Amino acid sequence: MMMNHFFPLLFVSVLCMNSFTGVQGKKWKGEGTTQNLESIVIGRCYDYIRIVNPSVGEKNCSQIWEAFKNAFINKDPCSILPEDYELFINLTFHTIPPNKSLFWENNQLLVNSFADRGRRYMSLGDTLFGFVGDFLNWCGQADSPGLDYESCPTTTECENNAVESFWRMLSIIYAKHSSGVIHVLLNGSAAGGAYPQPGFFADYEIPNLQKDKISQIVIWVVDDIEGPDIDSCGAHSVKTLETRLTALGYDVTCTDNDKSVMFLLCLDNPDHSKCAIASSAPAAQRGPISSDRGGSWNKLMFVSFAGFLFRFALVY
Amino acid sequence: MLKWKDRGTTKNLQEVVLGRCYNYITAQHPELGDKDCLKIWESLKDAFIYKNPCNITPEDYQPLMELASHPIPCNKSLFWSKTGDLVHRYTKSNQNFLTLEDTLLGYMADRISWCGDPSAPGINYESCPKRNECESNPSSVFWKMASKMFAEAACGVVQVMLNGSVEAGAFRSSSIFGSVEIFNLNPDKVSEVHIWLMQDIGGPQSESCSGHSIQRLISILEERNFKIICEDNYRPVQLLQCVHNPDHTDCRLCTNSTAIL
Repeated sequence: MMMNHFFPLLFVSVLCMNSFTGVQGKKWKGEGTTQNLESIVIGRCYDYIRIVNPSVGEKNCSQIWEAFKNAFINKDPCSILPEDYELFINLTFHTIPPNKSLFWENNQLLVNSFADRGRRYMSLGDTLFGFVGDFLNWCGQADSPGLDYESCPTTTECENNAVESFWRMLSIIYAKHSSGVIHVLLNGSAAGGAYPQPGFFADYEIPNLQKDKISQIVIWVVDDIEGPDIDSCGAHSVKTLETRLTALGYDVTCTDNDKSVMFLLCLDNPDHSKCAIASSAPAAQRGPISSDRGGSWNKLMFVSFAGFLFRFALVY
Repeated sequence: MLKWKDRGTTKNLQEVVLGRCYNYITAQHPELGDKDCLKIWESLKDAFIYKNPCNITPEDYQPLMELASHPIPCNKSLFWSKTGDLVHRYTKSNQNFLTLEDTLLGYMADRISWCGDPSAPGINYESCPKRNECESNPSSVFWKMASKMFAEAACGVVQVMLNGSVEAGAFRSSSIFGSVEIFNLNPDKVSEVHIWLMQDIGGPQSESCSGHSIQRLISILEERNFKIICEDNYRPVQLLQCVHNPDHTDCRLCTNSTAIL
């Protein structure tokens, strides 16, 4: 009796499994919305105004979350525009101190370390509006107020997706409100050139810089420590950038492998020849002091003495 | 509400702690996905709410410690004393090491403050006790316990970053490192202790590996059967110091292979 029901049941369940995990699979190619997005965004918002940068004053983080969410929920996830985040921007906006703007391409982790959480520079990720969204992913769906945790469209699938439009809007605002000396950090080892076109800096930031508020543009081109030197000041894509900015009327300077940034890159490669510091004691003297001092120091003394005798013998 | 000398509980403490917990387990450490952030927040709150903030005990924090603790990979523990700024810039740039503030517990609690009060609403947002007002305050008890557990969890080679530019000495018995952490390292799990003695670039060279307080530290550790290596101005960290002092003579880069190697 049981067997009569077994095979059809098995057949049906296999069919169902196929439709879940087979070729149809997920709606989009990108990763789904980050889990616990609401708690993370609200938490980051309060973290920023209470701890990271209280100078921006009081903000209503619940309202900010609502404005953020309303930009993209209940809509076709391929129809989100930068303007949809306007209310979010209005609620999170704060001024960027002059001379602290740091633009970048292809070196986000480096920039985060270099900016030192807003203390040295204030990159977009160090503003309240950038801070709440950094490294997160999100999208909604048409005809439903829910977030899609399964998958989200990549920019290749459609440009006007929630995350892409978010960063486009923020790039525009960040550029519009930058002033004084602005810095641009480019990766001289990036395939395709240090100044990518199309790119956020090229398409959303440069066109929105306010010429009357900017005194100088400083470009830093830094190669990876082990990386190829594909681009540098005055060459290829960097030359294109310099020419464009100069034509727009900016006072532009460019430096290859600025020392400060080099030191940061050296952290992952401290023994590389490019990273040798003059003040470090030469290896023979530097020898760490170790705890079985009796043993190894005596050995060292003996070896040194023996070496000295040997050389002495050779010379004479 | 009782009145104290230190800053009060951080406003929106719940949102900040919850957000940090989810941020840590979702965005940064997905292997901890089974942690229940809501329960973790509740256990932190229960540790101090409605209690007199001078009567906090380790038992109050036991549920939180159990819910939030997680294993630390061997050879990655990085202790520190009087080098807070530098050590955290280092671990942010180099994921090979973890300070207490890079673990879930430390990450949630870093730079925030909290204390309770017997009267409603049970949390004091105006002020909290300073250590010299009473030792058994919520913050001191928390960090002492968390530090003890962090030391107990360490295995393999452990590292410690000390400050060779402070007048009072790089190693102090009164610090958390000197009074709690070194005594809770487990000699059956920890094989070596590497000391990185960092001096400020262009700063006073108050102490080096051969200094008095370091010798004291070494003898305490040797007595517990640890092998110790001490290095003055450990190079990778010095490179980080040079990021913000690139033109100082101590940061001159060797060029054209003239280094004596």
